[in-house]
Formats: sequence, C-alpha cells, structure tokens
Amino acid sequence: MTKKKIAIYRFMSAGCNGCDVQIFECLVPRYKLGDLGVEVVFTPEEANVLAITGSINVKGAEELKMAYRKLKSPKIVIAVGNCAATKGIFSKGYPIVGPPDRIVPVNLYIPGCPPRPQAIVSAIAKALGASLDEKEDYWSTPEGFRGKHKFDAEKCIGCGACAQVCSSDAIEVIDEDGKRLVRINYAQCTFCGFCQDECPTQAIRLTKEYHLSTDDKKMAYIVNEVEMLRCRICSSYYVPSKQIRWAIKRIMEKAAVYRDLRKELEDAMQICPECRRKIVNIRNAKRLLASLAIKTRVS
Amino acid sequence: MPEIVRIGPYKPQLLEPERFELLVENNKIIDVNIELGYVHRGIEDLFTKRTYMQNLALAERICGICSGVHTLCYAQTAEGIMDVEVPDRARYLRCIYMELERLHSHYLWFGVLAHTLHEHEVFLKVMTERERIQDLLEYLTGNRINYLINTIGGVRRDITAKKAERILEVLKDMKNLSDYLLMLLDRDGAFVEKTKEVGILPRSIALDVGAVGPTLRGSGVKSDIRRDDPYAAYGELDFEVVTEDEGDVLARTRVRVRETFESIRIIEQALENLPEGEISVKPGEPLEKEEIGRAEAPRGELIYYIRSNGTNIPERVKVRTPSFANNFALTEMLRGDIVQNARLIIESIDPCFACTDRITIIDVNTERKRGLES
Ligand code: SF4
Ligand code: SF4
Repeated sequence: MTKKKIAIYRFMSAGCNGCDVQIFECLVPRYKLGDLGVEVVFTPEEANVLAITGSINVKGAEELKMAYRKLKSPKIVIAVGNCAATKGIFSKGYPIVGPPDRIVPVNLYIPGCPPRPQAIVSAIAKALGASLDEKEDYWSTPEGFRGKHKFDAEKCIGCGACAQVCSSDAIEVIDEDGKRLVRINYAQCTFCGFCQDECPTQAIRLTKEYHLSTDDKKMAYIVNEVEMLRCRICSSYYVPSKQIRWAIKRIMEKAAVYRDLRKELEDAMQICPECRRKIVNIRNAKRLLASLAIKTRVS
Repeated sequence: MPEIVRIGPYKPQLLEPERFELLVENNKIIDVNIELGYVHRGIEDLFTKRTYMQNLALAERICGICSGVHTLCYAQTAEGIMDVEVPDRARYLRCIYMELERLHSHYLWFGVLAHTLHEHEVFLKVMTERERIQDLLEYLTGNRINYLINTIGGVRRDITAKKAERILEVLKDMKNLSDYLLMLLDRDGAFVEKTKEVGILPRSIALDVGAVGPTLRGSGVKSDIRRDDPYAAYGELDFEVVTEDEGDVLARTRVRVRETFESIRIIEQALENLPEGEISVKPGEPLEKEEIGRAEAPRGELIYYIRSNGTNIPERVKVRTPSFANNFALTEMLRGDIVQNARLIIESIDPCFACTDRITIIDVNTERKRGLES
C-alpha cells in the first residue's frame, strides 16, 4: 500500500446529503480509496483536498471560505455532484449563492445526482494519474441505469417536449441561424428520466455511462441539432422541418380521412403561426367589409 | 459560572452541518441551542414553481437518505388532489421499495454510530454489507439514492420474477448482518457500555414534546404510521411495531436494529403476495382542494400538505419532517447529561438536517436568531 498522501475533507451546504453519503460510502474497502493513498479526515486543517457537495447557501458560503483557507497547500478542490457543479435542481432557491466555484476555485467536477462512489473514486484516481482495475461487477452499471444521455439524431424532431418536462431546467432549446439546438446540461440534470419518458420519438436515452468527471464544466453538454423550416410568407425560421413531417405523418396515420388533404395540410403547415393568424385576419376583414358593403347597399 | 460549548457546524464534523451551543456547568449540559440553516435551500418556495410531476424530483431531494419516502408521501398527497386510485400491484411494490430504503437508512445509521464509537471493524462491516442494498436499489430503479421510483398514480418500474429472486438473495445476507448487530447489543462491549443510560428520554416527555419514529419507540411508545394510519399495502402485511422501554441511546439503537428484521419480513411477504396487474395509472387533472398525507419515514412520521388551485402547479406545499419533530426531544435528552456524551446523543436521533433545515426562528425579544429550542 502506498503512503497516505491525500486527505479529503467533506464540506456540505444546501445539498440533499445524497452526495455527502456517497463520499462516506467511498470508505468501503471495495472501492479501493485506501489503495490510492487517500483518506477522509474530519477537520480542514488535516486535509489538502476539499470535496464540496451542495449548492451553497448564504450561511454555508462563509464557512466554505474558512474551510478553504485552512486547507493545506497545494489545495485541491473537487465539486461532487450536480448541486456543486451548477446548483442543480436548487438553482432558483432564494438562499442559494453558489455554485461553489463562485466562492472558491474548483479544480475538478464530478457530475451525477449523486455520482456513484465508483465515479468519485475513479475520478480521484484519474486526477492522481493512477489507474484502478475496475473489473469487478460493481464497476459496471446495471441495465436500466440512468446515466449520461444519448441523442438519436435520426429520431429527434426538435420538438422540445423534453425541455418542458425537465425537472431541473437542464434542457435548453436554442434557435439560431436556421438551426435548432436541443442542449442537455448533464451537470445540471437530476437524471430523473422524464425527458426519456416524454420524448414522442424515443430519441433520448439515459445510458449506462457514469464516468463524467471533467475539469471544465462547459464541456458537460450533449447537443442535438435539427434544421428549421422557413415560413413561406415571411421567410422567418419557425419550426424544425422534421417536426412538421412527423406531425403530418401522425395525422395521416391517425385520421385517414384527411389523406386527400395531404397537400393542403403540408402547405398550411409551412406558414408560421404569426402569418397564419394574419391570413385569418385578412379573411375576417374581407368578410367584414363585404357585410358592410351589403348593409350600405340595403340602407 | 456556566460556559458555552459549541459543536459543529463543520468541526467536529457530524454527517451534516449544524451548530449546537451547549450551556455547560460542572461538565453537565444545562441548556441547548440548535442553530440550523447551513442546508436551507428554499424548497417550499421551489415547490410552487414547478408542475406536480417535476416536484417529485424536488421532494426526493429534501433528503438524500430517506429520498424514497419523500416521493411516496408527496405522491400519496398529490393523488388525493388528483383523485386517483393506485393499482394494487403498485401499493405492494411501494412497500418493497420503502422497506429497502429503511434497511439502508438504519444500517447507515449504525455505521455512523460505530464510527462515533471508534469501532472501526464494525463500521467497515456494516458499510460493506450495506453496499449490497445500494447495488440492489440501483439495479431495481436505476439510481442508488435518488431512485425516483414513486410517481403520482403508482410506481415507475416493476419487479419481475428475476428481480424478486435477487432481492431475496440479498435479504438473506441482510438477516445475517442484523443478527450480528443485535448480538453486539446483547453482549458486553462498547456498543452497550457507551450507550446504556445515556441521553435518556422518558416516555412522558417523549410524548409531550411530540417525538416520532424510533426516537419515540425507544421510549416505549407503540406508534407507527404504517400501523396507525396504513398506506400503500401496510394494512395487509403482518409486522411488529418494535419498542424498547429504557429511552436511552441503547434503546433507540435496539429499536432500529430490530426494525430491520421487520422490514425484511415485510418485503418477503409483499413479494410473496404481489398482486398481478398494472403498476401505475395516469392521474387526472388537479382538483381545487387541499390534502394532507403522512408516512412512516425511517426517522418517523413525515407529513405533506398540498393546496391546489386547480392548475398543474401547486399553490402551497408544506413539509413536516421527522427530524424536525425530534429536535425538541433532542434538547430534552441533552439536558442533564455530560458534555462528552453530546455527540453520541445528537446522533442517536438519527438527525437529518437536510430535511429539517427549512426554518430559522428569530427571538423577537432579543432579535437573536435561533434554531429550535424547547
Ligand atoms: S447533486 Fe443531487 S444527490 Fe448530490 S447533493 Fe445535490 S441533489 Fe443531492
Ligand atoms: S434526466 Fe432529462 S428531464 Fe431529468 S433532469 Fe436530466 S435532462 Fe432533465
């Protein structure tokens, strides 16, 4: 066994405690934290690594600064879990002043909600330049594990249903330059799987992948891009072309009576809602004028 | 002249941050002030900014140890708002998942106790065995802590015959672990010597201050929401409400260890009698009404209140967690004991400050911010 050289101090503020317990669980021998020469200590003075969990609230921030000051040099700070990376699900909580990297410098992020002890130990090993042989069963994840997402670019129609149901505001829908980006921030995510359940085309899947550590949290994204359609009238981009094609196909399948109207339907759907409203308005206006004309003739 | 002794928030470290101010005279604790707030996240406010469904993930993250029972209690209360009847199979599955959670929570607690008593070997044994339940939960639900298994209208994943087999296999080992832990409490050794007659909570006071869960049952009161106000399938399953009379740390420890046997029995029965059928139904629209729901969390009675205005976002959600209730009892236990026992006593209520940390009390006379005090 190597000499003890790394001592970790846990710090938690405004998290759910899940991540804190995961760090505690890393002490179980099967995770081999000890083999890496790492121990968990109970005062910041004894430590050179600070493992932060939680999104940090007003009260915790002061204590965090203090703990960081007391840490031995060279100071290494690890943000464990999504609260500590991005504030996660507590992002809009009124007492939250984090994430931790707004308060102290952070060297490594270990995304997850919570990350498994395996992910934590493995990330630490990687940071130390060591490698663990991860061959026992428990290093792999079981079938049905909810880990990092994967897009099926073929299937995704860019409808944004996933963003609507997301429990943690982790999915953004960004329209720019004739393209729509659906962007999942897996360092913000709770891995609830609602996006997977809601996707009408089964284009999002939560995979078995759990090794997500990074020193740059801007990298913690998965993006899918779809083409947008231009409005035939005002020529602004307004909807993903795939979504329209999908919608028409659905209508044809569900209501065969409309089959003859396919062409009209396709035309109508290539006009943006704004212009469609205008057209309806023009029709109404015409009708109004016509009835006024009749009235004046009568009177 | 009394002195003030401070414990926490971050040093010496408890499993969660909070600050205890003990007023001590001649080594005896005469008064206690608990200061919280390090874990406060504004959850009740966040509840009113998301849909009922999205709130499942939030409820789960009130506490990362008893996460499952939070989603259960929240879902049961929301089911009242949406007037939905959960299928029988889901009711049984809920009991299975929730008792697995009680097991890992109680074992974790024993691990923390062993850690506090510097019983390193026992600590490693409990934690090592406990990982098998975490593995199992991950296998069953897809996440080892925030399983998000309960949903409004049922559960999200089924237990197949193959999965049931695996559960029974793990339970066999857990029975052995519980036997071993009970043995530690039946013979001379640190687990008895250091906990006997420490932090006594007499039965009458436990009732007066409204203690709940193992803290209350350790003072000889037979109270358990699973039996007193049955939910899920508990009304159809046979189990004993475990009590011990002494009211000390040892009694609370014994209650938790003996409860693990009951949890195992509940799971076995539920698996054996698992009804066929659907595991969830689609809930209807929220009605304009208010609902209260409760459940027996590993730490005691958990209460949810939801007020709905008929939209898909709740107007108000209020949560009363068990650790909140037990804080008042904690003050009573500490008062009169010696200061060296303080940490052990605090841990004996199995405090979960992540749940409790949603309030601060400010004394209007002194303008001093206070946590909870009797
Ligand atoms: S990242 Fe998830 S598991 Fe970790 S503290 Fe935050 S809410 Fe809990
Ligand atoms: S799993 Fe999907 S829906 Fe859930 S938080 Fe992550 S991105 Fe959002």
